[in-house]
Amino acid sequence: MNSAALLGLYHANRVLAWENGHPITYGRFLSDVETLADLLPEKPTVINLTDDRYRFLVGFAAALVRGQTTLLPPSRAPGALAQVAREYSNSYCLVDGMEHVESLPSFQIPRSTGRQNDTTNVPQISVDHPALVAFTSGSTGRPRPHSKTWGSLVAVARSTGARLRLMRSDQMTVVATVPHQHMYGLEASIMLPIQHGMAFHVERPLFPEDVRLALAEVPSPRMLVTTPLHIRACVTSRSRLPPVECILSATAPLPSSLAKEAETLFQTRVYEVYGFTEAGSLATRRTVDENTWHVLDGITLHQESAGCSLQAPYLHEPVLFPDLVSLQGQHRFVLHGRGTDLVNIGGHRGSLNDLSQKLNEIEGVQDGVFFLPDEKGTAVTRLTAFVVAPEKSSEHILSALRTVINPVFLPRPLHLVPRLPRNETGKLTREALLGLLHKLHNEERHGT
Amino acid sequence: MSDVSPLETEVAKLIVQTLTLKVDPAQIQPEEPLFGDGLGLDSIDALELSLAISQSYGHQIRSDDPDIVATFASLRSLCQSIEKHRTK
Repeated sequence: MNSAALLGLYHANRVLAWENGHPITYGRFLSDVETLADLLPEKPTVINLTDDRYRFLVGFAAALVRGQTTLLPPSRAPGALAQVAREYSNSYCLVDGMEHVESLPSFQIPRSTGRQNDTTNVPQISVDHPALVAFTSGSTGRPRPHSKTWGSLVAVARSTGARLRLMRSDQMTVVATVPHQHMYGLEASIMLPIQHGMAFHVERPLFPEDVRLALAEVPSPRMLVTTPLHIRACVTSRSRLPPVECILSATAPLPSSLAKEAETLFQTRVYEVYGFTEAGSLATRRTVDENTWHVLDGITLHQESAGCSLQAPYLHEPVLFPDLVSLQGQHRFVLHGRGTDLVNIGGHRGSLNDLSQKLNEIEGVQDGVFFLPDEKGTAVTRLTAFVVAPEKSSEHILSALRTVINPVFLPRPLHLVPRLPRNETGKLTREALLGLLHKLHNEERHGT
Repeated sequence: MSDVSPLETEVAKLIVQTLTLKVDPAQIQPEEPLFGDGLGLDSIDALELSLAISQSYGHQIRSDDPDIVATFASLRSLCQSIEKHRTK
């Protein structure tokens, strides 16, 4: 059976992670993985909730060694976790604090012994092993699982690294502002480092000042794995970041003007990665130089009647793009925008149909709909919801929603209305919803 | 009800403006949580708000604790932090 090593490069004394300025070596990592793998419960699937990037990786790797599959729930909302727990009831949760998912047993990662493994015995994992399951919100209201084999994760990490020429540079250290429990974060801040002998910072800085301090805590050369939102924050606050070799951005399109400002201000190169859960990262571009996306080696693009698709050696079948793209040959494409149902708020992808369905399941809601108003300026545009619920307050509906959807999708604002502007066939057009929003704004302005 | 300081009134306005909230700034209780169940703000808001605060008061917010709830516990704690670190 074909297998691929857990680590792309192994030297026991090489640094894998930086924790409060202290290095954790690859040797200690293998030792921690070996210890934990012996202790894990005998179950097929695990929800790894650890916030610390190093401990998450130890849990992920120990699960791989034991032949288990890590589940990545769509969000940390209690309802989302409970739903995954119901569908994978023979799972357990890996935690580093008091986190708990109802109905599932929790297993706390023990403190590291600090011991270092000096052998060169790097675990080999079957390329066909389902390493993880990521979820997208299907339009049916139930999260759709997408299984990722170990082979596909390794292939994406290697081709991304080749594109960024990581093997040719000195050992880089990644500082990531994105969570490792999402595909982009896992690919760029966990898989990319371990497949290229790189290091990472265990924390997830949020504010520009946090980003500056985290970068300062690790040695040069540094790589910042982040999003347009954080880049804008660092540029606007004129952060004095330590030298950064390159910045990687994903989750939303990065305006070319912002990329240019960041390159000038931080004396760095800014790359974007494009991907989606079904296929993983699949293309990159140097934003200041090009508008088109260049697919990673091994991927080919195809025009089909239903839209554009891509093929890769590690995908069982061609995968359709969820976004509107036009092809320029087999290896390049231009991204035009999203389909009408999919939204992306602060890096979280959601389906408007799915959100509306959850809204309509709330007791007291007679009719309701989510929609995304026209984006304005550079700030994050939030969703709006119109709800018909004569007996309920908007606070009541919001707190009910908070338990079932990712909080970034909470409507801002939620408008209680007497009825929705449905047409004769019962459909709600975007024009009708925009018209209603416009009308409400006008009424507000005139104080009626 | 606790007294509201002039800075708290000012920052309450800044919060409502920056995050385009649909509440009257005067309705924000100084001791009430801003995140989670209070105003229901999240980390994207925290980031937007930190920018507005650094521009208005020159205070660079940081979360040594990864839990942002600690930094933005309430309007009052936020204002105490601004008072301590402001440069303008």
